[in-house]
Amino acid sequence: MVETKELTQSRRPTGLQLGLMVFVILAILTAGEFIFALFLNVWPLLALTAVLKAGLVMYYYMHFTRLFESDKDEDRESFSYKLTTNRLGLWFFILSDAFVFGGLFISRFNLLGLTRPDVNQFLGVTVTSLLLLSSFFANRAEVSMEHGDRSRAIRSLAVAIFLGVAFLAGVMGIEWRIAPFGPADGAQGAIFYTMTGFHAFHVLTGVIFLSIVLRNLVRQRYSAEKHWAVEASVVFWHFVDLVWIFFYPALYLIGTLPK
Amino acid sequence: MKKTKTLGLLRGLLWQVIGTVFGLGFVTAIRVLMRLPAWKTEPAVVVGALFGALFFLYGVGVLDDWLKWAAGEETPEHDESDWGWRRYWGPSHDHKVIGIQYLTLALILFSVGGLFALTFRTQLAGNQQFLSPIEYNTLMSLHGIVMIVGILIGISAFMNYTVPLLIGASDMAFPRLNAFSFWIAVPAGIILLSSMALGGFDTGWTGYPPLSIRAPLGMQMFFLGVSLSSFSSILSALNILATVIRLRTRGMTPFRLPIFVWAAIATSIISLTATQLIGLAFQMVMLERLLGMGFFDPIKGGNPILFEHLFWFYSHPAVYVFILPGLGVISELLPVFVRKPLYGYRWVAMSSLGIALTGFLVWGHHMFASGMAEYLREPFMYSTLLVAVPTGVKFFSWVATIWKGKISFPTPMLFVLGGIVVFLLGGLSGPPNGTISTDLLLNNTYYIVGHFHDTLFGGYVLPFFAAIYFWWPKMTGRRLNEKLGKLHFWLMGPAMIVLTLLMMRIGLLGMRRRVDGYDPALGFQPYHIVMTIAAFLIGLSVIVFFINVFLTRKRGEIATGNIWESRSPEWQVPSPMPLHNYEKELEVVGEPYDYGLPGSRYVKFVGED
Repeated sequence: MVETKELTQSRRPTGLQLGLMVFVILAILTAGEFIFALFLNVWPLLALTAVLKAGLVMYYYMHFTRLFESDKDEDRESFSYKLTTNRLGLWFFILSDAFVFGGLFISRFNLLGLTRPDVNQFLGVTVTSLLLLSSFFANRAEVSMEHGDRSRAIRSLAVAIFLGVAFLAGVMGIEWRIAPFGPADGAQGAIFYTMTGFHAFHVLTGVIFLSIVLRNLVRQRYSAEKHWAVEASVVFWHFVDLVWIFFYPALYLIGTLPK
Repeated sequence: MKKTKTLGLLRGLLWQVIGTVFGLGFVTAIRVLMRLPAWKTEPAVVVGALFGALFFLYGVGVLDDWLKWAAGEETPEHDESDWGWRRYWGPSHDHKVIGIQYLTLALILFSVGGLFALTFRTQLAGNQQFLSPIEYNTLMSLHGIVMIVGILIGISAFMNYTVPLLIGASDMAFPRLNAFSFWIAVPAGIILLSSMALGGFDTGWTGYPPLSIRAPLGMQMFFLGVSLSSFSSILSALNILATVIRLRTRGMTPFRLPIFVWAAIATSIISLTATQLIGLAFQMVMLERLLGMGFFDPIKGGNPILFEHLFWFYSHPAVYVFILPGLGVISELLPVFVRKPLYGYRWVAMSSLGIALTGFLVWGHHMFASGMAEYLREPFMYSTLLVAVPTGVKFFSWVATIWKGKISFPTPMLFVLGGIVVFLLGGLSGPPNGTISTDLLLNNTYYIVGHFHDTLFGGYVLPFFAAIYFWWPKMTGRRLNEKLGKLHFWLMGPAMIVLTLLMMRIGLLGMRRRVDGYDPALGFQPYHIVMTIAAFLIGLSVIVFFINVFLTRKRGEIATGNIWESRSPEWQVPSPMPLHNYEKELEVVGEPYDYGLPGSRYVKFVGED
């Protein structure tokens, strides 16, 4: 009896391995949708891929199911009870914020239909990869923190922040300069710059949030048991990635170029 | 702590001025760096106003704890027991204080919005144009939006004050966020009203492009003010939902919640989600004006109808945000004053959720005449008429609750009954607007104006005053004067009915809404004179209310006990409410509305038998 229990435990992947596996699947799906869109542009399949990726991120990276765990401690003032309340508050915030991005997403299809802006495909897939990789490192930081491995958490968080800044540089520094249209050039310019701009604003707030947490992490403000700020910043960061999972195909892949 | 010595509000206003100047300079500096002409009014003023609001929040002190946390310091709960009256002027975290702050702001906004209405009603009565067209349009538009923001803040007032008390919690789930949600509404209101000084705007409260793209600078202040106040609504809703889910006292299962809490849940679901879309729609117009983005400009490939979809996706459910708490107050207070159980408790609870969810599917009925795809009209018509079903459940429950009850008529009960009657008028005048064939004729007439003033007065204003008269002793320990309260009701209720029925009447005769005059030959003037007199009577009734508040402030009848003989937990402890609400833990042991059943109990304190 004891032996089988140990066996199943050793077979189950640890948090770090699980994060890596999810990252590999997400990377394959992203590469798949990119290559697929080049040859055969059928939007329902791209939409399905996005939904699949979003489900993986919400389940494995954002720990959606933690909301439904029963409370370990019934005392309202205890850390664990407040933790669950905080998680709920963060998810309500995310739900609310998702409506902004949902509105932009719908506006894009209302205005442009099945045409897409003529933007740099290589740059698009590069920044998408950067953000996905950043998400992976953010997850690694959180899992390390749960295991009490503070130095790995610091390293991973620093990499995640660096990749986030690189994403910002790619979108705002390069894409906005080389795009063949400006924000005032038609509905296409309007929606492209607003969608990337609103998202970039969230990336920026995410980078600031992660940096504050990193600073407090270096100064030993969090422990393996109490690191809600780390979890919150990382979940928010995954949400920023989640938005891009839908925005990337909507802006870069779905539809044909206007004649 | 030094900050408790100065008033948070004054600090905030000072910082708002500094922030605005900073924002003006910031934009100018960037333009100089980009080698553009240094001064351009519109972007400078918009960014200035935005920075003003952010600096206000810093100045008032609601960001203090978060900034400390970001710097790595611990941020324990504040001890506010020695702040005294200054709590009401600064960033208090106590939900009762914040509720009263919201209430004060709501009453100020109502008074301002009401004065706007009286001004342009006077012009309509005389049919002499003493206001210029832009002045008239600005007052008319601001009347709409100031009232709407005032209603949203009034709802936050009574949800904030009562929900934690009703569920037996010591405070909201996120007290710091709660203070933030209130204080962001203050600079938002200032920015909104500043539109009057910046050229006004002439679009009505809907702000439809393309007109809103050509409107004066005041338009931007309208958009920015509403966008900022939407955060107040969203974050307050988030807090209410988390509080109800996490902080209910022992034994308070979902179907033992007070019925008002169910209404608060339904309202908060809408506020939390849909509100973002009005903010988005308004920000898109702001960007179109600032950067020339062509969202809603057909020449650039944009689509003005898109704005209407985004706008009404919030703004229709928003009316359910306004009325659901009001209907909740009616269901909450009715059993107290008829001494009978609330009829069909579960159905009433579910009807609130039903109205909220159906509300998400009906926005297109505002657009029957807009030129949207014709095949969309019928589904929106049917979904709209479907709203009558859950609303009918509520009416059935109220009538059945009153049936054979031992009714008493103190002031709150008068407002409750008045609310039911006026809301019934509003409800019955609704289906003609929701039906395509009749709406195409009624669209843009005073009939619509009469309809929604009835729904909002019956669904919000009268229950709002009912709630004030009912919970006033809980807030202050003194009762409002009954005679003045009854005078308030008998002025306000009948005047409102006369006003709105005449609005519908002249609408059917062909009076257009949002116009600053009319052809005297049409014979509308006698109606307008009567309507204006009714409007002034409503104004007078509100003055009576303020006189009542002023007179009873020091000399009112002291009421520390359970004066309404309510079963609700907050009335089982002395008034005014103690600093940390319930000193002993509560436990729910029975059904909430079993009035008149001998031996039944709703709550008991732990340790009692």
